[in-house]
Amino acid sequence: MKVSLNWVKKYVQLSEDLTNEQLAYDLTMRTVEVENVESSADKFKNIVVGVIRSVEPHPDADRLRVCMVDVGDGEDKQIVCGGSNLYEGEKVVVSKPGAMVYWHGEGEPVAIKETKMRGVKSYGMICGATEVYLEDYYPPSDEREIVDLGDTDCYPGENLAEVIGMDDTILEIDNKSLTNRPDLWGHYGIARELAAIYKVPLKPLSQEKPDPSLPGYQVDIQVPDKCRRFAAIVIDGVDSRPSPNWMKTAVTNGGMRPINAIVDITNYIMMAVGQPTHGYDFSHVEDHIIVRNAKPGEKLILLDQSDLDLTESDLVICDVEEPISLAGIRGGRKDSILPDTRKIVLELANFSAETIRKTGKRFDQKTDASIRYEKGIDTQRVDQGISLAMELFREIFPESRILAYGDTYPVKTEQSVIQVDRGLLDRRLGKVFPDAEIEDTLTRLGYDVQWNEKGFLATAPTWRSTGDVSMWDDVMGDLARIWSFESFEATPLPVNFENAVHQPVQDLDRKLREHLAFRCGFNEIFTYPWVEEKYIDAAGIDKTDAVRLATPPAPDMVNLRQSLVPGMLESVMKNLRYFEDFKLFEMAQVYHKGEYHESTEEETLPVQKLTLCGAVVGKDGKNDFFDAKGAVESLARYCQMEPLTLKQVEKPSWADEKVYLNILRGKKVIGALGLVSVQAMNAAGIKRTNMAVFELDETALEPLASRDNKFEHLPLYPEVDEDLSILVDEGIKWADIAEAIKHHCKDLRFVEEYRGQQVPEGKKSVTLSLTIGSDKGTMDSKAIDKRMNKIIKTLENKVGAELREG
Amino acid sequence: MLDRLEKIRQEGLEKIEEAASVESLQEVRRELTGKKGQLTDVLKSLKTLEPDMKRQVGMKANEIKEFFSEKIKEREEEIVASESALDEEIDLTLPGNAPQGGALHPITQMCYDLNDAFLSLGFEVFSEDDISSEKFAFDNLNFAMDHPARATMDTYWIEGTENLSGNERLCLRPHLTGGSVRYLMKHGAPARFVYPGRVFRNENTDARHERAFFQYEALIVDKDLSFSSGKVMIQTILEKVFGRKINVRMREGFFPFTEPGYEIDMECLVCGGKGCRVCNGNGWIEVMPGGVIHPNVLRAAGLDPDVYSGFYTNIGLDRLVMMRYGVDDVRLFHSADLRFLRQFK
Repeated sequence: MKVSLNWVKKYVQLSEDLTNEQLAYDLTMRTVEVENVESSADKFKNIVVGVIRSVEPHPDADRLRVCMVDVGDGEDKQIVCGGSNLYEGEKVVVSKPGAMVYWHGEGEPVAIKETKMRGVKSYGMICGATEVYLEDYYPPSDEREIVDLGDTDCYPGENLAEVIGMDDTILEIDNKSLTNRPDLWGHYGIARELAAIYKVPLKPLSQEKPDPSLPGYQVDIQVPDKCRRFAAIVIDGVDSRPSPNWMKTAVTNGGMRPINAIVDITNYIMMAVGQPTHGYDFSHVEDHIIVRNAKPGEKLILLDQSDLDLTESDLVICDVEEPISLAGIRGGRKDSILPDTRKIVLELANFSAETIRKTGKRFDQKTDASIRYEKGIDTQRVDQGISLAMELFREIFPESRILAYGDTYPVKTEQSVIQVDRGLLDRRLGKVFPDAEIEDTLTRLGYDVQWNEKGFLATAPTWRSTGDVSMWDDVMGDLARIWSFESFEATPLPVNFENAVHQPVQDLDRKLREHLAFRCGFNEIFTYPWVEEKYIDAAGIDKTDAVRLATPPAPDMVNLRQSLVPGMLESVMKNLRYFEDFKLFEMAQVYHKGEYHESTEEETLPVQKLTLCGAVVGKDGKNDFFDAKGAVESLARYCQMEPLTLKQVEKPSWADEKVYLNILRGKKVIGALGLVSVQAMNAAGIKRTNMAVFELDETALEPLASRDNKFEHLPLYPEVDEDLSILVDEGIKWADIAEAIKHHCKDLRFVEEYRGQQVPEGKKSVTLSLTIGSDKGTMDSKAIDKRMNKIIKTLENKVGAELREG
Repeated sequence: MLDRLEKIRQEGLEKIEEAASVESLQEVRRELTGKKGQLTDVLKSLKTLEPDMKRQVGMKANEIKEFFSEKIKEREEEIVASESALDEEIDLTLPGNAPQGGALHPITQMCYDLNDAFLSLGFEVFSEDDISSEKFAFDNLNFAMDHPARATMDTYWIEGTENLSGNERLCLRPHLTGGSVRYLMKHGAPARFVYPGRVFRNENTDARHERAFFQYEALIVDKDLSFSSGKVMIQTILEKVFGRKINVRMREGFFPFTEPGYEIDMECLVCGGKGCRVCNGNGWIEVMPGGVIHPNVLRAAGLDPDVYSGFYTNIGLDRLVMMRYGVDDVRLFHSADLRFLRQFK
């Protein structure tokens, strides 16, 4: 919305010392966001009034004239001009050097310089209307016509901005910051705020009403919940003449274009007090006005003879025959002011915000009127509009008179009456203000304040009572903002020493991420919760229990993820263009159809589980698998949670036939670990590499209350490390070997497996490294040999091992 | 004999000085003063000499022995001081062995930075589900029934529920504030917590707009909390992120779930508040909304607004990370692209 400061100053007197920048800042901090401050006079720099003293032919050009022009500089200037309407004594518009004008009304503005035209010196330029932003003021009848200021009150050298009242400052206000303030959609509302901010008087609006003895004008309102008031004034003796310059300037600076005096007056009323106003040609309205819902199949015929299809929820203004306008949004053919219009019906009505919003949305129409109605306007504002209309018609059409007047007013906006507890107000503000200060600020905003025992009764003005102000907190908000949020010192938070924050589950979340990133070398990723179907299918996931989006970002992204694996496949596929060996992990929720109550019994949500997924990518699949396994195995110890075990129970859909393990907590399967199957990789477009994945349900993890490992004494006596290479059958697992001898040694480590030369078919060589020692004394070589023999014997007995030579 | 000793002394000194390693010095020591060394030879031959000569030669020989032992010690120190642990030539400009670490996502890093600051102020960290009902996403938060955000065009509704309402109409949460009500329902008041999370909006994406993005919400609810105490949360966030005091201003703003509500602007860091293109010439950048929690929201959480009041603020993590590093495309955060992610350690 554009706000003209000159217009605002009609209602409120601001200090001479107040700069525009300060005003914009104060308004931004306290009321609405001022996005830009602009002078409307800037573009008229060096454009002044000139009076032609003489007109002579140009020696070398038939169409050019050489004029001597008084531009108020003391000596007349010689200007060459091709205008078709030059005469001695004519008051014209002169662009002096430095002025920016539209050359022949086209292109970008160019700077005027002193020049020679066909050999004759020319000081500046005598301008046509389109060259100097004046087409609305002095509409040209042909393209060679220059502006003839005629009887406009002005003097040579006067800047044009002053002549037409354009010496103004325009504030551009962010409409978003106005959505909750229907009272600010007019200059008077902004003036009221400034009066409250600067504590200066606000000029009251006149309260004129049409003479009660006038004949009535019939308005039938059939839907009072949608149309709460409709005032109609019949005015005779008007025509389509243009507005005077001051009105044109006001309308322009308010952000609209001047049309003709009648339309300009209605727009002026709307921009002054925020009350949309509409003029109908009286002769077009059959008999009287009816406000009702449209009938099925009804149409509104527009000026260009096209029509709008109406539905029963649309509110229309009708005469006895048919709809003549779509209430609060746009007019039809019948309501137009035409060149032959002599008598009008002026509409000042109140429509409900909901109905305007709904219909406006259906037709995708937003107009200056509908934007205001959508915010919710009070019914009393019609009175301000009526009074202003009477004043303006009297001024611009002195010969006009009101013939009839009707005001159908079924529903009145009720003022909000709010009790404010003084103690609560002080505590919540964190600062105590004197009664007088509170009363003064609220009164300036239009409240009525009645003090009582507990505090005060605040009666909000009607223009704030359409939803904006309804609770005491709103009153507090008004006080705090006018006094400026900045004026409240930040007070430190009260300290609470009772409970230190203890959040094992949250901590576990962070430990898991940090462990994987910092110790295991994984990079954290985020993917979207909607997954391309291709990757879900690649992972072999059954989509039946997927939660789906009603309006997905793309047709093949309708399913919300049931697993993080499909997103991981996609991420790996993309990264393989640039990298060969890498590790990724993601922690995010997955969703399944189901019933789950997070906060209340009434609310049923699908099942949502925080899930952790990691991927190890590299050509050596065995290595990938054991890297992933190592990461999973380390989680419990490093992240301080209840231990996990790994066991083959059930193959996940995406995993290799052989190389997978399930992740268990206790007896419950909570995830899986494995190589991604060749089939899944092919389907996901992942080529020439291997990939191991783990995925587990994070909600099934149980953080420890504290770190639980115990200190172990350092060995009192020296320990001995021994390596052993044994031959065992292929079927023997490392777990079997470890189980067999772990009680005989202090520590046992796997070194390597070997198959090949010197190892018979069906056998494998396993190298292990063990630490032996005694808590009772140093082991001598005899004792060591004895222990080693026992271990070898045990291996022979339990896993059929034979010691390898060398 | 004395001449011979003098010759031993001269030649010995040369050998000591020529020795280039500790090993060769040991060799020289053996040669000069060892059991089969030159000096020992001389001393062995003493018995054949005159007593006077015997005394003179003996003294001289011992003197030289001491002289050698001192010089050898000096030389050994010299050699050790100039010795390298490596025999080979080494190019010191070769890169070091990089640690094999991964990294947290830059959003997570920012989130943890903020968590640390708030934990130090006694805030809890809260998280909850991505899918919520309209009841929690909008109704509880005082959104008008015909608020545009409720439309399909703005929010991702779940298939099959899009035409229902309230508890039955489900969506991917469009903001975190609905979840804050869940926290208050569960934990009651007083409360102070932060709530990082991802939210979802149905919109067209470009370098500045995303369908999934991250918010960081901070809330305090307490008896008679004045809204000026809420300012602390704002300062904490910005100072933590930028590592120094940042000028902020609070100005009038409107949100359905606050009263009063305000927009929080921070001084433009590009121009230092003088005004530039980044800040549209006014020196301030809008960073987050904040405000006093609307009484209707407290009521929805089962709290009495006459007893409790709360302060709320919510900052967009994506935007904050973008400002911190100068990232120019918000879509990179969900790209999973290691070329991007590996820049943040």
